[in-house]
Amino acid sequence: MNRKVLGFLPFLIFVFLCVFLYQGLFGNPRELQTGRLGQAMPSFNLPDLMNEQKRWTEKDLLGDVYLMNVWGTWCPTCIAELGYLTKLREQGVKIVGLYYEQAYDPDFGDNFDIHALREEVQTMLSRAGNPYQFNILDLERSLSLDLGVSGAPETFLVDKSGTILLHHTGDINQRVWRSKFLPALEELRNEN
Amino acid sequence: MKIRAVLVVVVILLCSAGFSQAAEDKYQFKSAEQEQTFRELTLELRCPKCQNQNIADSDAVVAKDLRDKVLALVNEGNSKQEVIDYMIDRYGYFVHYQPPVTPATIILWVLPVIIVVLGFGFIVFRQKKAAKKQHWSEQDEKMLEQLIKQYQRKERHS
Repeated sequence: MNRKVLGFLPFLIFVFLCVFLYQGLFGNPRELQTGRLGQAMPSFNLPDLMNEQKRWTEKDLLGDVYLMNVWGTWCPTCIAELGYLTKLREQGVKIVGLYYEQAYDPDFGDNFDIHALREEVQTMLSRAGNPYQFNILDLERSLSLDLGVSGAPETFLVDKSGTILLHHTGDINQRVWRSKFLPALEELRNEN
Repeated sequence: MKIRAVLVVVVILLCSAGFSQAAEDKYQFKSAEQEQTFRELTLELRCPKCQNQNIADSDAVVAKDLRDKVLALVNEGNSKQEVIDYMIDRYGYFVHYQPPVTPATIILWVLPVIIVVLGFGFIVFRQKKAAKKQHWSEQDEKMLEQLIKQYQRKERHS
């Protein structure tokens, strides 16, 4: 009896390894980057993309459930999701843009043309749809770093008290919205 | 002649490698200790965008931002562990190549120990079994001799 069990041991180890490695094929390593989940929106003080006189802080965003969408005109996937995000806005979802400027390097500072960028953003939004209530310009990518952003597009779901509930890397489409964001919003509604 | 030409090329290549490395050293440090900490950190922290590169190696925008942040934090006098905690706070455990011991990762430390213990146990077990006294009668001896002869003959024939 004992011998029979021992004889099966290599086979069992083989099966275990197969299952372990097989499920590894479907793991998404980017899912792990969620350092800020469950924490408060980090404090910031950044200008509006369209008007440098207007400044936004984390306190201006309290009181609403909203999406913070990290994007840039240089990022094709961000442009592709504008249409779907605009639909969400029409359904009453509040979306705040965090403009992630890739070309700007703080070490070289002064050669950044904000007017050209504004024109480009306006053209893009009028063509593909404008899902944003407003856009925050994170020129030095400091808020992005505090949020654990690794690129664009990324989207955060934040509740009324400013707690980050979701951090999604990649575009938002119908599938992602249904499987990830709707359940989280449903949960929020049930709590209230 | 040919060998000399090859040598010259090799020397030139080596020199240029040295120069390009020197050109990369644009960071300013207050002390050699801080420079050492910065070097270690950029090798240990993982780029969140290009996941199989550390931030010293990667050219992604986010890797550069992280390098600049590490530099600023080190120059402010933060210790190595403080910088690592700062990054983990934002990018998760993922950003550091050294995983922490948690219930989910404990298997990484325990499994090798278990395998070594089981292996030694198996060796001891076999040793004991092999050391058992066995009966050896004269009849067995005869049979052995007969078998040896039989196979020797076969070998000669073939």
